[in-house]
Amino acid sequence: MYDGEFAAVVGPSGCGKTTLLNILAGLLPYRHGTVQVDGVPVKGPGSDRGVVFQEHAILPWRTVARNIGHGLELQGVPRQERRRRVREFVELVGLAGFEERYPHELSGGMKQRVALARTLCANPVIMLMDEPFAAVDAQTRITLQEELNRIAIATRKTILLVTHNVDEAAFLGDRCFVFTRRPGRLKATVTIHIPRDRRIWKEVVADPAFTARRDEILELVRAEVRVE
Amino acid sequence: MSSLSVARPDLLRSARARRFWRHGGLELALVTLLALALWTAISASIARPDRYLPSPVSVLDSSRDLLWKGILPNYLGQTLWRLVTGSLIGIALGIPFGILVGLNRTVSEMCYPILNFFQSISGIALLPIVMIWWGTTEKTVFVVVLYTCFFPIAFSVLTGVRSTPRIYVNALRTLGASRLRIVRDVLLPGAMPSIATGARLSIGYAWRAVIAGEMLAGRRGIGWMIFSAQQVDRTAQVVLGMALIGVLWILLDRYVLRPIESDTIQRWGLVQR
Ligand SMILES: Nc1ncnc2c1ncn2[C@@H]1O[C@H](COP(=O)(O)OP(=O)(O)O)[C@@H](O)[C@H]1O
Ligand SMILES: [Mg+2]
Repeated sequence: MYDGEFAAVVGPSGCGKTTLLNILAGLLPYRHGTVQVDGVPVKGPGSDRGVVFQEHAILPWRTVARNIGHGLELQGVPRQERRRRVREFVELVGLAGFEERYPHELSGGMKQRVALARTLCANPVIMLMDEPFAAVDAQTRITLQEELNRIAIATRKTILLVTHNVDEAAFLGDRCFVFTRRPGRLKATVTIHIPRDRRIWKEVVADPAFTARRDEILELVRAEVRVE
Repeated sequence: MSSLSVARPDLLRSARARRFWRHGGLELALVTLLALALWTAISASIARPDRYLPSPVSVLDSSRDLLWKGILPNYLGQTLWRLVTGSLIGIALGIPFGILVGLNRTVSEMCYPILNFFQSISGIALLPIVMIWWGTTEKTVFVVVLYTCFFPIAFSVLTGVRSTPRIYVNALRTLGASRLRIVRDVLLPGAMPSIATGARLSIGYAWRAVIAGEMLAGRRGIGWMIFSAQQVDRTAQVVLGMALIGVLWILLDRYVLRPIESDTIQRWGLVQR
């Protein structure tokens, strides 16, 4: 992946997307190939690769602010500095006013924002996201997708997002890696040349450049979904 | 945010449960009176009640004597002291043990049957062997109480640690947390409700163990009082000891253990959903 790139891995459910992401995160061992960050092979999990999990994995016994600052706390960042950075990311994900709330007081979409802010706040080299919006309702999902795009612009993070949702992959990805069904292999790479600041749902659905790419990916993925 | 303040029937239920356990004072008084009345009636209807079942009044009468001589407070103090020291140390050892074992799947699967094995051997069943080792000493009673507490709490903590979602552990690993931080930030808080329940359970077992230990090892305390009174046919004193054991447990459970447990469970159950 390039620096600052937004890549989307898209493939049918059960093709091994989560498995791939966990390997990249260092949570699972792998037999072939290598995983490198800036040329350094990875051994196990590390704070250079931040992960946003499919089920928001924020800690229920920590407040929003303490969840978001958790990575900095583990890195030993002093309290003052931590507070400043947490405030910055609380605002970035639009959770101002909810700092002292506990996760059970938040909606599904808000929890996922906390998870996103927690990962970003720890300042990883690359952010890995596993179907982060699969568990929220459709309206919230498109809002969160647009917000993620805005955040990608603001932070210039290198992001790898894994999804089975073709629209999501096409909307967010600079490049979309389409995977075959299990055992998942790279089937095709589709590049999407739409500037980030033009990626707004209302605009892209009317943009033939977007719909053509999206339909191309859709065909590629549908060919992999076995009819049983 | 109206969507945030949805009614939570589960919370309502536990709040109601807590109120029931805390404020059921009137019901407690009523049922106590009923039980005393029944006891008096039975006692009055049998032959030689002083030998077989003295009435509440004569039991109270015998306690006055013991109170005057200072024997009762002394015995009570010793029994409670044994309970507190033995169970606190047992719990203090059981919690880290449960966490340590719970860290690794293989280790916890190996330890599970062992813990289960010892959990089935009650304190009383252990007493004979401990008495062979250390005789009728204070150490014997202490060890048996500690043992009685250790296994249930270790078991609960182990279960709590193992049932903490793996995803929290993984999330912390990707944030760069050390093993120690994972224990402190995830496993310990995750096991909190199990720890609270396990602690109350194990103190309940320990209470029985103290009494049994005093009886068999002949250490002075409430258990000993019952045992020695039986040998000289002081039935009123036997019944007094039994009543004290029950009443003390109700008070301890109601005003100390249950509030701690329900507070912890409610607080952590609330945050864990
Ligand atoms: N390359 C592969 N070969 C065989 N089994 C695989 C492979 N990749 C994934 N699996 C298995 O398929 C199942 C689903 O994988 P998962 O990564 O959860 O899929 P997804 O996230 O794409 O839905 C898992 O049980 C996983 O172990
Ligand atoms: Mg998956």
